[in-house]
Amino acid sequence: MAEKNKAVVQNSVKPGKWVNSTCKMCLHSCNVRIHVGEDGTVNKVEGNSTSPSNFSGLCPKGNSSLQRLYDPNRIKTPLKRTNPRKGPKDDPGWVPISWDEALDIVATELKKTLEDDPRKLLPAINDFQKLYLWAWPAAFGGNANYFSVVGTFCGGGYHPMNGMVHSAFAGANDSDYCNYWINDGGGDGFSSHLHVAAAARYMANARVKRGMRVVTVEPRLSISAAKSEEWIPIRPATDKQFALGLCHVLVNENLYDEQSLKKDTNAVYLVGPDGYFVRSEDDKAYVWDPVDNVAKTWDDETIKDFAIEGVYEVEGVTAKPAFQLFKDILEDCTPEKMSEITTISADTIRRIAREFAEAASIGSTIRIEGRDLPLRPAAFNYYRGAQGHKTGSMTNHAYKLVNFLVGSIDAPGGHIGATLDDYWEDRGHIWEGKDGMILPTPHQLHPEVPFAYPPNTAHLMDYFPLGVDPGHLIADTFFNPEKYGYDFTPDTMLICHSNPLWHMNGDQEKLFEIMRRMRFIVGIDILINETNIWADIILPAHDNLERWNMTMIEPPNTEGPCLTQPVIEPMYDTKSEEDIFNEISERIGILDTWNQVLNFANHFADHKPELALEPGIKYSDKDIAERKGKLWNGKDLDWYMEHGHAVTKRRPEKFYRAWEGMRIHFYLEIVVEERDKLRKNMEEANVPFLNEWEWDDYQPLPLPVLDPVHKEPEEYDLYAISFKDVQLNFTENLSIPWIADIVHRDPVHMGVLLNPKTAAGRNIEDGDIIEITSPYGSVKGIAKVMEGVHTDCVAISNAVTRWTEDHPIVKAGGGNYNRLLPADLKNTDGCSGQMECTAKVKISKFISKIKDPDEANALLRRYAFPDSE
Amino acid sequence: MPRWGMVLDLKRCVGCNACAVACMQENSLPSGMMWTKTVSEEIGIYPNVTRAYIPMLCNHCENAPCERVCPTKATYITDDGLIMVDENKCIGCGACYTACPYKNRHLMEKKHLKKGHYGAELTPFETQGYPRFEVGTMVKCTFCHERIAEGLDPACVFTCPTEARVFGDLDDPESEVRRLIQSRKGYQPLAQHNTKSKVFYID
Repeated sequence: MAEKNKAVVQNSVKPGKWVNSTCKMCLHSCNVRIHVGEDGTVNKVEGNSTSPSNFSGLCPKGNSSLQRLYDPNRIKTPLKRTNPRKGPKDDPGWVPISWDEALDIVATELKKTLEDDPRKLLPAINDFQKLYLWAWPAAFGGNANYFSVVGTFCGGGYHPMNGMVHSAFAGANDSDYCNYWINDGGGDGFSSHLHVAAAARYMANARVKRGMRVVTVEPRLSISAAKSEEWIPIRPATDKQFALGLCHVLVNENLYDEQSLKKDTNAVYLVGPDGYFVRSEDDKAYVWDPVDNVAKTWDDETIKDFAIEGVYEVEGVTAKPAFQLFKDILEDCTPEKMSEITTISADTIRRIAREFAEAASIGSTIRIEGRDLPLRPAAFNYYRGAQGHKTGSMTNHAYKLVNFLVGSIDAPGGHIGATLDDYWEDRGHIWEGKDGMILPTPHQLHPEVPFAYPPNTAHLMDYFPLGVDPGHLIADTFFNPEKYGYDFTPDTMLICHSNPLWHMNGDQEKLFEIMRRMRFIVGIDILINETNIWADIILPAHDNLERWNMTMIEPPNTEGPCLTQPVIEPMYDTKSEEDIFNEISERIGILDTWNQVLNFANHFADHKPELALEPGIKYSDKDIAERKGKLWNGKDLDWYMEHGHAVTKRRPEKFYRAWEGMRIHFYLEIVVEERDKLRKNMEEANVPFLNEWEWDDYQPLPLPVLDPVHKEPEEYDLYAISFKDVQLNFTENLSIPWIADIVHRDPVHMGVLLNPKTAAGRNIEDGDIIEITSPYGSVKGIAKVMEGVHTDCVAISNAVTRWTEDHPIVKAGGGNYNRLLPADLKNTDGCSGQMECTAKVKISKFISKIKDPDEANALLRRYAFPDSE
Repeated sequence: MPRWGMVLDLKRCVGCNACAVACMQENSLPSGMMWTKTVSEEIGIYPNVTRAYIPMLCNHCENAPCERVCPTKATYITDDGLIMVDENKCIGCGACYTACPYKNRHLMEKKHLKKGHYGAELTPFETQGYPRFEVGTMVKCTFCHERIAEGLDPACVFTCPTEARVFGDLDDPESEVRRLIQSRKGYQPLAQHNTKSKVFYID
């Protein structure tokens, strides 16, 4: 016993080795070091102190990654279904089979589809750290389907808007200089969104060391709201009106950065009655010079000043500067009017706008690395909750305009574009567009899908020239092929690291029926989930601690790729995703095309041709990782293995005003152009649903229109929202015991939050099981009566939305929140594809409080999906 | 000889519980046992309401009730101020738990070690970690005594994304812990018990 006391007991100091790698417990890429004991066991995962991103920090998810590796429920061999009956409760009767047999079956079935009609494949490929895998369907006969809303839920409106405004995938406030941070429905720096562990440290330092003020606008008392100097509860789905109210005050009280609007934006370009910029014969946009009192083309060297207000006659039409058009819109957005919609008092809207403008210190500058830059330490940040509404494009634009008005777009201290995956060190993300403006890049995930009628995609991506894949529309198109003119019916599915039945909005029974009608489903994953349990064949992938990768995913403060390397030999008979797709591709005869697609998706061929993949070769995960590293900085894999990453702070020339000398898009003429092109295409093709298209969503400037969710029948008298915190965001990890330990004892995550005032009027007490019903579906849940939620609102944690019975740790809630949401054109942004994420609901007591939590959980499990009710 | 202490910055803490999981990882803790954790509580009435996030761990008191009451002298204070339990002497009587005003001590029971987090089978991680524990003894936070002996921060401090935990020598006037306690008026938890906690909170 005495000896035992001498033995080392703490894992990180036991004899062993440290291996540099990258966390994958959410989609982002924090840098980690992984400790492997002398016995070969992984026993500690820590942040990598050499990283200027997350430093030594790691969130609870990152801290729990070894439990995923060692989850005994992992898929250990390829599996084949023996029970032909498919349903959410049907045991697939898995039997283990060999890789050869499994791959042959998959190849045979997929080849049938490829030869029949490649459009019949519905892919859901969602490994964000291997984004190039998402492009595999392109090699499969140019398939562009997407049976998923990963991307759309977080940012149908968001990502294209960032592409149009910043030429970036995401956006974040600059915590290095910001002093006044409005956080609307986001969570950046506290609980969610970009690189939580990294952003949280930057945020904490800004608040504590610099005294940055944070104002959080949300229906629920989130972590951000709790930590903020001020929480402003807002009625769900009215954040756009709040932002427009702020804009009204900024404009009407002359609290805006006129010089920035004149010099850096297209707010001075003259817009004609058709919504386009008025252009000269040589196709140059006009501005108005108020000194010479004449219209001049934007590049005229004699321009003495720019008019931002007024009405002018140019080229025979009446035109206004874009800023004037916005000012006209804002007439209807008085704080009093916006207050009625948002429930935020007019005084508060005015006060926040004034505080924001004052903090922005318009006119101030800062010298950073030899450049004099405008210093605008006030910024409006937002994300999922605020942006996820039917008028998503306008909504996102409204938030950006708050920042435009004070000149904080891409300025130190302001609201800044964050790129997704930079690929190369020596090329920024800005391209020159028309009329001295930057090129808008709305397609951040894949190239535009060209218009086609009949549609070539099951989710109508051919009709969203500015959108993110609205996979949820498949629930409508699949059952109404005549309406949409389809000449194909999907019958095959490939699901890779995705759980669409869990994450898609809409009628769950319809989604189940789609699954039932598939001739063949293949799943690639490490655990069985609600969706791949419907598969015919399961192909098991390596865990992140067993694979190679090189990735950089939208870090807000840093740049540079991060290496993932195997820390132990694979525990089971699994393969890398690359090996799996190579084997399938070779068997169905598309390996060479797949290599070409990989060259395109990774920018190998166009940027460093010597890295291009050649035909006929199956490149491993290690090969791809090495090439991606070399593409960035020319360093080989040994260098990355030693350093773990090439992460540096984002270089100021790239982070701040990378578009210097060009103008950014205050006014979105591209939206008008794409609307008209789409309409012309639809008219010429005589598309039957032309008149059903939500054309009003295409606006070059945001309007204060209400989202349709507010117009549901009166009996639905409350709003429902869903939420996540750091333990749950951007991932499925409720199957991890350590995460379950911390989540399941937090009342915030174990039920349906409602305010005591809301509960009292409905005879509901804390602990009662309540039914929440929207016009589209219903769920049940345990009432958690709390002060920290808006009185018009019930809030449901993502922790109670799963229903798998295939994992002992996952607790089923009383149904998936997404069931409450519509999945139709009427509630989808015609411009961006964004679905509505808020539901109108009514609630009622279902059963009084059940004291035994196990009994309550067992009951809730019965309501996990609709046909069990 | 240092006198180890910790400062918990409530302004920085976001209640994520990375500390709790890092501790469970580092110390191979069985399911349901946490040596440190962050609790939260709602304060106020809507709309004037907020939520406090409060990290907690063994306070390694200088005037430690647990040490005073231990009938077998299993609980002892090291020269550098750590409260430790000698598992060879501990009889698991629980007197220390009763005496501790913070309840940051745990009895390691057979049920804890006989199954893993996922069920009956132990994972390789649990298999390599559980042998450190002796059934029937009290276990608790050790300020990561082995890590700090190597000059490392405790696991919870190292991992905290917001740097809400600061570890250091309370006897060193230049240390960050001393600086924070002085400049931001650090206070000890449940000071009325006169435990002389070496964990301080700052608002």
